[in-house]
Amino acid sequence: MSGFSGLNTGLTGLAAAQRAMDITGQNIVNANTEGYSRQRVELATAGTSSSATFHTGNQPVLSGVSVETITRIRDSFLEAMRATAGARQSALTTEASVLEAAQQLLSEPTSAGLQNTLDAFYSSWHDLSLTPTDDAAGAVVLQRAAAVTDQLHSLVSNLSDEWTTSRTALDGVIAEANQAASDLAELNAQIHSNVVGGRSANDLLDRRDLLVRELGSLVGATALPGEDGQVSVSVGGVTIVSGSTAQELTLSGAHDISAVSADPPTILWNSTSVPVDSGQAAGYLAAIGTDLPDLSSAVDDVALALRDAVNSIHQTGYTRTGATGTDFFTGTDAASLAVVPTAPEDLAVATAAGVVDGSIAAAIGDLASDDASSAALSGATGASELWRELTTDLGVRVQSMAASVLVQDSVVASAEDAVQSSSGVNLDEEMTNMLLYQRAYQASARVITTVDAMLDTLINRTGMVGR
Amino acid sequence: MPVSRITQRSLSDTTLRGLQANITSLQKLQNELSSGHRISRPSDDPSGTGSAMLLSSKKAADVQYLRNIGFANSRLQTTDTTLQALSNQLRSARDLLVQSRNASLNTESMTALAQSVEQIRNEVIDLYNTRYLDRPVFGGTVAGSYAVDPSTGTYLGDDQPVTTRITSESTIRMDVRGTDVGADTVPASLDLLATNITGTGATDADLTALDDALSLVAQALGDIGARETRVSDAESVVTSHKTDLIERISENVDIDLPETIMNLESQKVAYQSALGAAARILQKSLVVFLS
Repeated sequence: MSGFSGLNTGLTGLAAAQRAMDITGQNIVNANTEGYSRQRVELATAGTSSSATFHTGNQPVLSGVSVETITRIRDSFLEAMRATAGARQSALTTEASVLEAAQQLLSEPTSAGLQNTLDAFYSSWHDLSLTPTDDAAGAVVLQRAAAVTDQLHSLVSNLSDEWTTSRTALDGVIAEANQAASDLAELNAQIHSNVVGGRSANDLLDRRDLLVRELGSLVGATALPGEDGQVSVSVGGVTIVSGSTAQELTLSGAHDISAVSADPPTILWNSTSVPVDSGQAAGYLAAIGTDLPDLSSAVDDVALALRDAVNSIHQTGYTRTGATGTDFFTGTDAASLAVVPTAPEDLAVATAAGVVDGSIAAAIGDLASDDASSAALSGATGASELWRELTTDLGVRVQSMAASVLVQDSVVASAEDAVQSSSGVNLDEEMTNMLLYQRAYQASARVITTVDAMLDTLINRTGMVGR
Repeated sequence: MPVSRITQRSLSDTTLRGLQANITSLQKLQNELSSGHRISRPSDDPSGTGSAMLLSSKKAADVQYLRNIGFANSRLQTTDTTLQALSNQLRSARDLLVQSRNASLNTESMTALAQSVEQIRNEVIDLYNTRYLDRPVFGGTVAGSYAVDPSTGTYLGDDQPVTTRITSESTIRMDVRGTDVGADTVPASLDLLATNITGTGATDADLTALDDALSLVAQALGDIGARETRVSDAESVVTSHKTDLIERISENVDIDLPETIMNLESQKVAYQSALGAAARILQKSLVVFLS
C-alpha cells in the first residue's frame, strides 16, 4: 500500500459525490417530466485486491468508492396496473361521450322532443274531428304529420352522422396506435444497442414506457418484458410489436350505420380479427358496433309503431269525397317514413262514405293514449310508449356509464399515486440528498488536504536534521 | 393501495383532482339554477324523465279535452237556444189552432190564421236547420248543410251521432236527433194544419200532433240540459286534473330553489377551503428552508 493511495481514495470520493450530485440535479429538474422515473446512484467500495486472501497474507487494497450503476426506480407491476386501469378508463370515457352526445340528440324532456311533436299531431286530429269539413284543420293535421316525420328523419340522420364521426375517430385512433407501435419498435432497437454496448438506457426506457401507456390507452395494449430491456406489446393476445418490428392494425367493416349488421366493424391484424376490449378503440367499437345501431333501430321501431297504428285506423275511414282511406304513413323505417295524403280532402275522417263525420279522426286523435295505441297495434307497444322507453333506457345507460367512469377515474388515480409513490421525485428527499453529497464532497476534499499535509510532513519536513 | 412515499407531483395531482371534483359539482348546481330544471338530460334522472314525458303527454291530452269541451259546450248551448225558440213557435202554432176552432171567425180571419201557421212552419224549418260552424245541429252526419229541406220540409238528417271526447274515459254526444225533436213530422203537420184551418177546420189529430211535438221538444231540452251539466262537470274535472299534472311535472323536473341555493352556497365554501388548503400546502418544500 502506497502512501499516495489516500489521495486516490479521496479523488474517487470526489468523483462519486459529483456523479451523485449530477443525478440529484437530473431528478430535480425532471420532477415534473411526464413518465420520468427517479434515478439513484448505487455506490460500492472499489478495488479490493484480488490477491488479498488469508493464504497469501496480503492486506486488502482499499482504493475508494465507485459508482456501480445508476438505477432507474420503477415497479413494473405498478406500471402494468396503471396501464390496464388507464386503458379501461379510456374505453369507458370514449363510449360514454358518444352515448352522451346521442342522448343530447333526443332533446328530451324538453318541448323540442319527439313526445311533444307526437302529442301535437294527435291533438290536431281531435281538432279535425270537431270540424271534419274544415280545410284549415285538415291542413294543420298534414303539417303536424310532416313535423313528426321531419323530426324522425333528422334524428336518424344525426345518429348516422354521429356514427360516421365515431368511425373516423376510430380510424384516427388506429393510425395513432400504429405510429406509436413503430416508434416503440425503434426505441426497442436503440435500447437493445445501448444495453449491449453497456450504456445507460434509462431515458430511453422512460420514453418507451410512455409509449406503452399510450398504446394501452389507445387500443388496450399490454406489454411483456423481453431480452435486453426490450418489451413486446400485444393487443387481445395478438403481438403487434416484437423486438424492433411492429405490425400494423387496420379497421375494416361497414362505412355506414345501416350496413353494420351485415358487415360489423372489426379491427384486423393481418386479416385476423383482433379482440380489442379496452382503450379508446374498444369504446368506439362498442359505440359503432352496437350502441348507435341499436339506438337507431329503436327509433325505427317508434316510427313503425306510429305508422301501423295510424294506418290501421285511417284505412277504415272514408274521405270527404267518399273514397276509402289509404295508408296515412308509408315507409319501412324512420328515415323513409313519409305522409301519403297531400291535401285535406285525402284525409279519411268519416266512418262511412257520403256523410260528414269525424269519428275516424277522433279515433286517430285518441291514439295519444298508450292503451288506444296498443289496442290499434293488437297488443303491441305504441309509439309514444316505445319512445319513452328508448329515452329512459338511454338515460339509464348514460347514467350508469358516468358512474363507471367516476369509479374508474379513482382507480386510475390511485394507480397513478402508487406509481408516483415509487417512481416520482420527492423534492425534500432530493434536497436532503444534495446536502448529503455536498458534505461527502467536502469530506473527501478534506481527506485529500489531510493526506497532502501528511505527505508534506514526510517530504518537506523529514531528513532535515543537520541542515 | 397503501401509498408510503408522497411526492410533490402526487400532492399537486391530488389537489387538482379535488378541485376538479369541487368545480364539477359547482357547475352542475350552476346549470340547475340558471335553467331552473333539475332534469335537463335523460341521464340526470332516467325514471324522472320517463314520468315527466308521460305526465306532459297527459297534460297535452287534457288541453285537447278542454278544447273539445269548449266546442261541445257552445254547440249544446246553440242547440238549447234553438230548442227553446222551437218550443215557443210550436206553442204559437197551438194558440192559432185553438183560435181557429172558435166558430165565430169568418173566412178572412181563417185565411189569416192559416197564413200565420205557414209562417210558423217556415220559421220552424229554419230553426231545424240551425247550424253550428256550418253543421246542422239536428242533421246527424248528413252530407249537406240542411237537416230539413227548406222548400219541401222533408227531413234529410240521418240521426247518426256526432260525438267528441271530453275526458280520457268518456265521450259526449253533441247533436240532437232530428226525429227526437219532430224534424221529420212537424213541418208536415203544420202544413196539414194550415190546409185544415182554411178547409174543414183543425182536427183533434192536429192538436195531438202539436202537443206531441211540444212534449218531444221539452224532453230534448231536458236531455240537453243534462248534457250541458255533464260537460261542465267534465270541464272542472279535466281542469283540476291538468293543474295537478302541471304541479307534478314541476315537482319532477324543476329544482327546489331554496335547497339548490343552499347546496350552491355550501359547495362554494367547500371549493374555497380546498383552494385555501392547496395554496398553503403546495408552496412549502424543503427548498424554502435551505439557504
